[in-house]
Amino acid sequence: MADATETSRKRSQVEDVNRSLYDFKMSEEGYERYADGLSTDIVRAISEKKDEPEWMLELRLKALAAYEEMEMPANWGPSIEMLDLNHISAYVSPKTKQANSWDDVPEDIKNTFERLGIPEAERESLAGVGAQYDSEIVYHNMREEVADQGVIYTTIEDALHDPELEPIVHEYFGTLIPMRDHKFAALHYAVWSGGSFVYVPEGVTLPYPLQSYFRLNAQGAGQFEHTLIIVEPGADLHFIEGCSAPKYYEANLHAGAVELFVKDHAKLRYSTIENWSKNMFNLNTKRATVGADSIMEWVSGSFGSHVSYLYPTTFLQGARSSCEFTGITFAGATQDLDTGCKVILNGPDTTASVDTKSISKDGGINTFRSSIVVGRRADRARATVSCASLMLDDISRSDTIPAMDVRNGSASVGHEATIGRISDDTILYLMSRGCSEGEARTMVVNGFADPVSKELPMEYAIEMNNLIKLEMEGAIG
Amino acid sequence: MANTIITADQTDTTALGHINVPPAQTWNYLRINDIAFDVPTPHFVGDVYARLPQLFDKVECGIGEDAVTWMAHAAGDARYVEVRAGEPHDPIVIDVDAAGCDVSDTGVLVRSGAQATIVACSHGGAAGATSASLLRVIAEREAQVTIIELVACNEDQQHLDAVGIEAAEDAHIEMRQYALGGGKVALGLCCNLAGNASRFSLDSRYLASGTDVLDVNHVIRQRGRNTRADIVTTGILADSARKTMRETIDLIHGAKFAEGSEIETVLVTGDDVVNKTLPVILCDEEDVAGNHGASIGAISPEQLGFLGSRGLGEEEAERLFARALFDDAVIHAVDDDVRQAVLARAAAVLGADVARDIAEVLGYDIREA
Amino acid sequence: MSDQLLTINGLSAGTEDKPILHNISLGIGAGETHVLMGPNGAGKSTLGHVIMGDPLYQVSEGSITFDGTDITELGPDKRSLAGIFLSYQAPVEVPGVPLYSFLRTICQMRPELKTTARKFRERVGKIADQLEIDQNFLTRELNVGFSGGEKKKIEMMQLLLLRPKLAILDETDSGLDVDALSIVSRGIEAYRKECDGALLMITHNTRILERLTVDCTHVMVHGNLVADGPASLIDDIDAHGFARFEEALAQKAEA
Repeated sequence: MADATETSRKRSQVEDVNRSLYDFKMSEEGYERYADGLSTDIVRAISEKKDEPEWMLELRLKALAAYEEMEMPANWGPSIEMLDLNHISAYVSPKTKQANSWDDVPEDIKNTFERLGIPEAERESLAGVGAQYDSEIVYHNMREEVADQGVIYTTIEDALHDPELEPIVHEYFGTLIPMRDHKFAALHYAVWSGGSFVYVPEGVTLPYPLQSYFRLNAQGAGQFEHTLIIVEPGADLHFIEGCSAPKYYEANLHAGAVELFVKDHAKLRYSTIENWSKNMFNLNTKRATVGADSIMEWVSGSFGSHVSYLYPTTFLQGARSSCEFTGITFAGATQDLDTGCKVILNGPDTTASVDTKSISKDGGINTFRSSIVVGRRADRARATVSCASLMLDDISRSDTIPAMDVRNGSASVGHEATIGRISDDTILYLMSRGCSEGEARTMVVNGFADPVSKELPMEYAIEMNNLIKLEMEGAIG
Repeated sequence: MANTIITADQTDTTALGHINVPPAQTWNYLRINDIAFDVPTPHFVGDVYARLPQLFDKVECGIGEDAVTWMAHAAGDARYVEVRAGEPHDPIVIDVDAAGCDVSDTGVLVRSGAQATIVACSHGGAAGATSASLLRVIAEREAQVTIIELVACNEDQQHLDAVGIEAAEDAHIEMRQYALGGGKVALGLCCNLAGNASRFSLDSRYLASGTDVLDVNHVIRQRGRNTRADIVTTGILADSARKTMRETIDLIHGAKFAEGSEIETVLVTGDDVVNKTLPVILCDEEDVAGNHGASIGAISPEQLGFLGSRGLGEEEAERLFARALFDDAVIHAVDDDVRQAVLARAAAVLGADVARDIAEVLGYDIREA
Repeated sequence: MSDQLLTINGLSAGTEDKPILHNISLGIGAGETHVLMGPNGAGKSTLGHVIMGDPLYQVSEGSITFDGTDITELGPDKRSLAGIFLSYQAPVEVPGVPLYSFLRTICQMRPELKTTARKFRERVGKIADQLEIDQNFLTRELNVGFSGGEKKKIEMMQLLLLRPKLAILDETDSGLDVDALSIVSRGIEAYRKECDGALLMITHNTRILERLTVDCTHVMVHGNLVADGPASLIDDIDAHGFARFEEALAQKAEA
């Protein structure tokens, strides 16, 4: 059959692409790398290097104490036994200063981001870009016309050194995600480094998205960036976050924090395409608080990491505020991904709509976990959760664990979940029209993921479809 | 009639934690993973001979091992019933007098091809009293079992109710569960569809009002190929009632072509209600189908429009739903003592006139207390 | 001509985002039988639901008067108690509610039907026999798992129980087999005879009308009432369809 050679050619191509697209390593030579493990000395060293205000050092030390005291929940969630914090370096920095022109970024790092397509996307469709390499932001830039409107897009470190911005960071930083929220939130606050600070003034609508890209290159390291976004009344922002890392045999750790403040009559869309390598422990915390008549939208694609605990959380505080969550998670071999979201409806007439998909394959484990909490004052609040899971073989696993807690008699909450497989009839139909079985399955899975890719800007939708294709075709070999 | 070795005025109590723990837990701060009870400590009353055969020890009950152990001890003795094919029999009735702190421990073995109907009814109540019913059923090949579980206790009663079912190949289990009241009630249920093509259907209905606390755990293990589980839950929450409903469909590796579905509809009529739901589907097999749906809140606009066209406003429609729950329980009560227990509870919740009307419309006499 | 029971005057209505009915005027006298015909999607069912007061639709203009009272602002429950009955094309399933509970409750709501439980059982039993409804239906949940024919019979049962002054039967004949159709026809006849109620038959099928004496036929096209006529109009439509009405409406719109 002609198919056989076609397939084998494709297979080797896929492997080439697979290696070159995300899985390439750069030398760590000349890096500043702190000793593995955690200690007050390391925390003090990070703070000193960043020349931080005293309050930040105090916050870090308090968080470290909390981290040492707290435990991971023993009764739920994927195992993180393989994660040994004594073998993770909390701070690794390339020897370079932050640049605002790609020409000033060291060659190998620039190369990395070129291959990930970041400068190209910046030229074509973004209002600003931040690029983090291991623990530090190496590039930050924003279009002039956006800056002229008073939009601030910088690192938290820089904001802390700006006498006008420092009070704003102080006011908001760490208020939405308490350091005792869970063990890795405490860890985050102890050693955080990098990330973005975004401030959109009242009434400003950004014409293009801002994007931050996080690349973890160093082996056995942790990335702990902190993203703080404030969208003032009437403002509108689309923020995109991308992440990737090369594959190592040692565990890497990502414990970032994202705090989003959406004021009244405002809108924020937060999109993520996450493709961490499969040795990554992704214990990320994202949280938004939303004012009256405002909209918070999450679009989330999770493809990478060995273990994920990821549940973007939205507090609908203001009346008539709304939250839309669209997510997809693809768990393949060696992956145990516990993802979902939380929405707390506190304001009257608030609405939440959650739509998620998950795909499990080659022994991958998917857990969709959510909670919808309707508070006593949330009169007429409405929430719907819909999750669909696709099982692609009988060695994988897919669990759906949605919790609901409703404390208002006038609220209405709906939930539906389905778990199933691709029907043989569908595959047969597509094959009868000339598709190979592999193509047919890829087509069905892409169709399944369509509601999510529709929500992404074009180039990211293409990236996501490529990721699905890679995951699907990788299995043939 | 069950013996009991605990009393309402007893001062020594045992703290039973981890009751109704679902197979997959979630965030602890939601306080949805379990419930705790303080129960009277059973006293040793000498050797007890009437224990159940050991094969019942392996039957999982959704309420949890600690609670099962306590119930087996507090029951004092146990009742074992074996039903053989071709032998006609009356319904097996388990009557738990809640006010008298009854604790019953019953094991029913339904032999291959036999048919059995089991009714477990706990009713009444007294301040400070704790009662319990533990029912374990083993259904052999092609057995057909109907189980009706009723809890119709008063608002001052604490009650634990557990049902564990083991279903072999081609066994069919049809179950109706009614939680009609009780100050603090835990209902634990586990059905293990071990045999190929075994089936379980559950129609679970509840009404919690006043300051009732109702805590439910439904666990369906689908191990056999071609197994089917259909769970329909409808409930009404009024006043300041608190309810937790956990429903788990566990599609275990090897359960090819299994199908499990669960639907919960909750009508909330009270302003201070706490309504928690954890509908879980666990799936470790490819060629299966799992579905879940829940709707929580007021009566749907379509139903309200339809009922409106027949003359019922929203309040009347809500009253209809509450009455209908008792109507349905009376219709399926099977045994007259059980029916009277339902009617007594209906009188307490809906008023004596409505209770009498329910009885008369359905063609029964109401027995004076 | 008998007393006017229902008067619809210049009625326009629709859903939140779509107007459906335009300037409808229609009168039905007590005890009369009217037929409302029209192609699929003409708005016939909508008119039935608007008369019933279905909150899905909003009246933007005009009024509905029933039995001398303006009911335009009333909810469906009040209209039902006033004596209007709408038989649903697709009766809604109400899980958790046995048919018995439902029938008892809707009867006890009405002072003229209030009765003892025993008499109620007798009445229900008689009507069930008349419509060949198995008694065990009465303990089943309302419309849950019922076939199309069974649902329609249960609708007829409510019609005979409630004895409304006006019954609007929305496509009661659709999707029925011959046996069910004859039982439903018998139910309609019984209603006419026993209750002497007025009838508005919404249909695009004329078979069910064969056993009825029709006083007036109305034709609806694209949400407009385009013709009123005698019973003979039915035969005309049977032979020629709705094309000429549609053309006339289009010409009127152009003019």
